[in-house]
Amino acid sequence: MLGCYDFCGHYDWIFNWLKEQGGTELLYQYWDEAIYGDSQQHAAELIGSKGLSGMKEYWGHTLEEEAPAGGYAAGIVGDRFWMEMNDCPSRGFLMRNGIEFSRDYCDHCLGWIGPMMKKAGFTVNHAHNHCGQCYWEFMPLQNSGEPEPSIESLKQRLLREWDGEKMETDRFEQANDVCKKRVNTQGQ
Amino acid sequence: MSLLPYTDTKPKGAADFYFGINATFRFMLRQFGEAGFIRWLTEMGHGYFEPVNRIWREGGLPSVAQYWREFFAAEPGAEVEVHEEERQVVIDVKRCPAIAHLKAHQRDIVPEYCRHCLILGQTRAEAAGLSMQLEGGNGSCIHRYGDAGVLTQDADAVREVS
Repeated sequence: MLGCYDFCGHYDWIFNWLKEQGGTELLYQYWDEAIYGDSQQHAAELIGSKGLSGMKEYWGHTLEEEAPAGGYAAGIVGDRFWMEMNDCPSRGFLMRNGIEFSRDYCDHCLGWIGPMMKKAGFTVNHAHNHCGQCYWEFMPLQNSGEPEPSIESLKQRLLREWDGEKMETDRFEQANDVCKKRVNTQGQ
Repeated sequence: MSLLPYTDTKPKGAADFYFGINATFRFMLRQFGEAGFIRWLTEMGHGYFEPVNRIWREGGLPSVAQYWREFFAAEPGAEVEVHEEERQVVIDVKRCPAIAHLKAHQRDIVPEYCRHCLILGQTRAEAAGLSMQLEGGNGSCIHRYGDAGVLTQDADAVREVS
């Protein structure tokens, strides 16, 4: 039986298997169709109907279930929802168990969250460092482009820390598509 | 010592991941058809699960029994009894945690859901020098593991999910 306890392990194995069958195009199709369109339909319905409060409700439940020990912070500021992940339960599971079947495990989040947010009328600022840390900012698709000071401060602090530790970071700016990734190796 | 090759900091998994497993089955069936679905699971049985197969090869049927006890203890909502009989391990799944969670959330479950247990179970048993048999499905079932070549599978013994 495929269990939920080690889900992240076989999920990562599947990413690599799909890439071997049909390249990243098939993998991205899987995140879009199977994860966003099917598995996470409850998230899409909640966020599509309630917007920011739906995000708070969805991630409140999900993070409580996946990361009961904490390791994250989230909130609403103005017309935006933000999250800071310090100890991702999913990537952390892989790291603690020495699992690395696919190169870019963390991309799966943008892979399903991106299209879901687009449908709900939001775009995404996101970066991750492959070590269980990331930030998220969800803002209306029709936005002024002006940074929200407190969220901008969080993003800049994390990016400085990761660059200081010479970490490779993957960054997405106003993106809804995992193809929009910009890899930053400035810190190395 | 745990026989689970991968462990987490929390005692049980997050049940909503069953949504992802069900959706993955649907995607694989649509993308690759039944033959591709079987090939995918067979490769997973030999690949991802090789650390478990090795434990079973080295530890024999007692390790199979211990593995499944630990496995289901970490699956939320599972009601399972594992019995060690003469040269056979019987896993009596009274309440399948995945099917129960998916039904509780009114998810459209792929009819072939329970077949993955048979394909993975037989692949892994054979890789460990054992045989496996499955009977039931749709929320409750019985898995049996025995010596190689001892257990045979009735083609109609695995129920579709309805």
